[in-house]
Amino acid sequence: MSSSNEILKKANHSKNIITYTVVALIFFIALFLSSQSDGPSKFPKEITDQFTFTAWVNEGEDFLKKNYRWITKIIANYIKASYYFVEDFLLESPWILITAIIFLPCMIAGGLRLGLYSLFVIYFWGATGMWEPSLQTVALMGLSVILCVFFGFILGVLCSQSDRFDNFMKPILDTMQVMPAFVYLFPAVFFFGIGGAPAILATMIYAMPPIIRLTNTGIRQVPDQTIESATSFGSSKLQLLFKIKIPLSLPSLMMGINQVIMMALALVVLACFIGAEGIGGQVWQAIRRLDVGWAMEGGLCILFMAIMFDRFSMAFSKTEERLPSDVQKFYLLPQGWAKYQVARLFEKPLSITHAIIKYICLFITNLIAYFFKSLISIFNKTSAENIREFISKRYYIIPSFLVFFLIVLVDTYFLKIGSFPEEWRLSIRQPITNAVESLTVNPGFISFAKGLRAFVYLNLLRPLDVFFTHIPWWYTMAVFVALGYITVGIRFAIITALLLLFIGACGIWSQSMITLSSVLVSVALCFVIGVPLGIIASYNERFRNIQNVVLDAMQTLPYFCYLIPVLMFFGGGIVSAVLATVIYSIPPIIRLTSLGLTQVSGTYSEVSRSFGGTLIQTLNKVKFPLAVPSLVIGFNQTVILAFAMQIVTPLIGGKGLGLEVFNGLARSDTGRGLAAGIGIVLLAIIIDRITLAWTKKQRNALGL
Amino acid sequence: MKLTKTISALFLSMVLLIGSLGQANAAKRLHAAIADWTGGIITCEVAVAILEREYGYKVKQTVFPSGTGLWEAIAAGEIDFACESWPSYAEADSVMLNEDLIYEGKVVGSYSGDGSVDLLGTSGIIGLSDYWIPRYAAEEFGIKTWKDLNKHKAKFATIETGKRGRLIGCPVAGWNCHDQKRLDILGIDFQADELGTEAAAIAEAKAAYMRKEPFMLYLWSPHWFFGEFDMVGVQLPDHKVCDPDTFTEAGNWKDCGKKGWPGTGWAKDYTMNYGNPAVFAKSENAEAKKFFENMSLQNIDQAKMLVEVDIKKRPVKEVVAEWLDNNPDKWKPWLK
Repeated sequence: MSSSNEILKKANHSKNIITYTVVALIFFIALFLSSQSDGPSKFPKEITDQFTFTAWVNEGEDFLKKNYRWITKIIANYIKASYYFVEDFLLESPWILITAIIFLPCMIAGGLRLGLYSLFVIYFWGATGMWEPSLQTVALMGLSVILCVFFGFILGVLCSQSDRFDNFMKPILDTMQVMPAFVYLFPAVFFFGIGGAPAILATMIYAMPPIIRLTNTGIRQVPDQTIESATSFGSSKLQLLFKIKIPLSLPSLMMGINQVIMMALALVVLACFIGAEGIGGQVWQAIRRLDVGWAMEGGLCILFMAIMFDRFSMAFSKTEERLPSDVQKFYLLPQGWAKYQVARLFEKPLSITHAIIKYICLFITNLIAYFFKSLISIFNKTSAENIREFISKRYYIIPSFLVFFLIVLVDTYFLKIGSFPEEWRLSIRQPITNAVESLTVNPGFISFAKGLRAFVYLNLLRPLDVFFTHIPWWYTMAVFVALGYITVGIRFAIITALLLLFIGACGIWSQSMITLSSVLVSVALCFVIGVPLGIIASYNERFRNIQNVVLDAMQTLPYFCYLIPVLMFFGGGIVSAVLATVIYSIPPIIRLTSLGLTQVSGTYSEVSRSFGGTLIQTLNKVKFPLAVPSLVIGFNQTVILAFAMQIVTPLIGGKGLGLEVFNGLARSDTGRGLAAGIGIVLLAIIIDRITLAWTKKQRNALGL
Repeated sequence: MKLTKTISALFLSMVLLIGSLGQANAAKRLHAAIADWTGGIITCEVAVAILEREYGYKVKQTVFPSGTGLWEAIAAGEIDFACESWPSYAEADSVMLNEDLIYEGKVVGSYSGDGSVDLLGTSGIIGLSDYWIPRYAAEEFGIKTWKDLNKHKAKFATIETGKRGRLIGCPVAGWNCHDQKRLDILGIDFQADELGTEAAAIAEAKAAYMRKEPFMLYLWSPHWFFGEFDMVGVQLPDHKVCDPDTFTEAGNWKDCGKKGWPGTGWAKDYTMNYGNPAVFAKSENAEAKKFFENMSLQNIDQAKMLVEVDIKKRPVKEVVAEWLDNNPDKWKPWLK
């Protein structure tokens, strides 16, 4: 037994040595080749001249514009009409009604805490003077989410029913998520006009994939036994789908809705570039005027909104499992505080109010239910009873509607309520602006910033840029293809070769290498900063909780908000671009490091400790190897986010494919923009597939 | 199922509510783009405010970043008009306009595009672009014109430019500023960095100014930046065009060195308002078209309002309304 282990170990050892040698060899050949070439590597001109992808796209676009614009206009008009419908409703209603419409459902679904939080959010919108833009964003987002859920659900069900369709959709979904929105945002203007309609469609492209994926997996994960017993009772395929599979996959669907809301919010901000109104426009105007405070206020409006919708949809999907409010002792304070006298005193009035409100609600609802029952029982006894039951079960929702109608009545006949009162204004612009400005002139901080800028530029970005752009294209391609072959297989290797040939043939080889190097530098920085933070978080729960809040904020805050401070501290250019990318793409690596380390079951570390392993040893030899799959997923997501950010960095001096997209769009050259956008997608997909396949192997090796 | 029922109930009640709230409004309507830089916003707000006050229009305004996308939106009829386009920077004007640009009775530019966008007339603002350095740097190093720049290039260098100086250049490639070409022709050993957006360029310049570091910035005037920070121009050679003027981007230039663009500074930009031809051909909009032909806002007036808006942080609408109230003699003549 022990001897065979030893042989295995030795074999492993020698295999490791061979791998390292090969990697080192490949690297040194690359180094040699890149130092030999005297300029950036160029794809053969014969191929790039022959392959006029951009011209084809532009011709295709012209054809579509000429012949199919009337169809898209009709679609756009439908969407526009429904958008204006919602928007007008939100903007012209009295503010108290809007408050009630948001507050009451939050309260009912999430309890007093969520209710109070939603009040705070609404107050914040009004107090910062962003009442209208916030509601416009809500309208835009709400409509996109509804459409996304509708179409995403249908597509998801189709995916779950047919493996072929599923395989067909997978790469499309990947592309939808990674393809920079800017690429399709501007051409959309010609087909769908400006403002709400194209913004909603663009949001759908970007935000639909999660719901399709989650519906699909939700339906596929319905246990076999359930299906078996349903079939044995003689249910047909359709019955099986609609009565068993879909209801059982609802939790997963709800999670999809949650994701859609988050992603829709992210894109609604970008939509300001095609004339969609809302907070995005505010933030962009603030940035044009370098008003950090204003931009931050807009960003916080979105952040708070996102948290509210997130918590609401979570609470909504959990309703069944929630404790009945009678068992729940406390409404506002943590349940564990029940042992403190003060806390009990504090909560006493709350529970009394709750009882009163509940009593009133029940009373009113029963009254209504009784009324309907007696009305309908004239015609049909059983349906009358059903309706009574239906109404009286909803003893919070029905009174809520009464409240809405009451407010509308008061507004129209007695007292014009109007929009959010001006005198409740409270601005936090000045303090934020002042803080940023004082940091800008702080000599210590600036010398730190300058040092960081010099370090990143001289030691990371410039060498890597030169290295990547100067390696001959065929060598880089060969390395990627080999990697694809080793990790995934021959089919993927061929696909990789074709994809890279496409990039080269479009004449954007050197730009894509610049993009690759800035992504790698950003990801490396994310790794160096993120992994230690993740480790600390895995050991200290309080640190983790605080960090989670910060990470949530970083992911939801529109990236426009932190671009200006980054520029003021670091100056425009590729270093700023890299730093902005790091801020945007670091959260997954931190989260998944800490998740991976905490998930390593306690027994493993216990065993290691009992054998006398130190903290470092346990971490290094036991926990890390076991957490590798989770780490790689974090790394993977970070890479995808870093690629996604490449489209934004040209706004602050970034180079590479993102800039190419912008240049194409500035000249109204859709083909050029699209080619560069596809370049980003292809690089991201290649790296994503390789790392995923590698994790799978690792997982299998560890027997997880 | 509970979910769907709740949603449908909510939706139904919304329909009922809107029914009680809806009201029709029958004013003359126009749809304007709000520019994404303050000067443009003010010029447009002046036009919008006069259209609303004097001609009874109801103007819907949409924030729309300037660029080719805006021109296409106007051609497609999504937006009715936009203000203050700068000929040096617009890409689409030569393709889409087909008219002469007239300023105070003189023809200052002519276009022969397809006419899918209507040139409504000059906005009155005359723009000028240059390279600028802060006054403290100019005085400390004794820089009077661009010829003195090479001696002090090391002070303008950053980590990215190495020994050469850094010019925070024209931010967007699509604007066709040709900064690097100009620097090379004039023999200024600086590197022009495109930062992608005006905001990025200005943010870096503002931070550098606050730290009192030397920097050189491409910028156009009138701009709010000059109201807040004391900058001096480096006085590039006067604008000349290459003769014969065969410069096209596609054919790359016929290089005439220092004798012509881009070896010189920029031309004066007689800025213009532009709109959808079909909309302004309607008889009901004849008054508006006439107004745009006469409109001529002066640089000095825009600059005053710029300071109010950008430095004192007052709302644009309020500032413009105040200017209109106090200076009827300046804008009443546009109404004839």
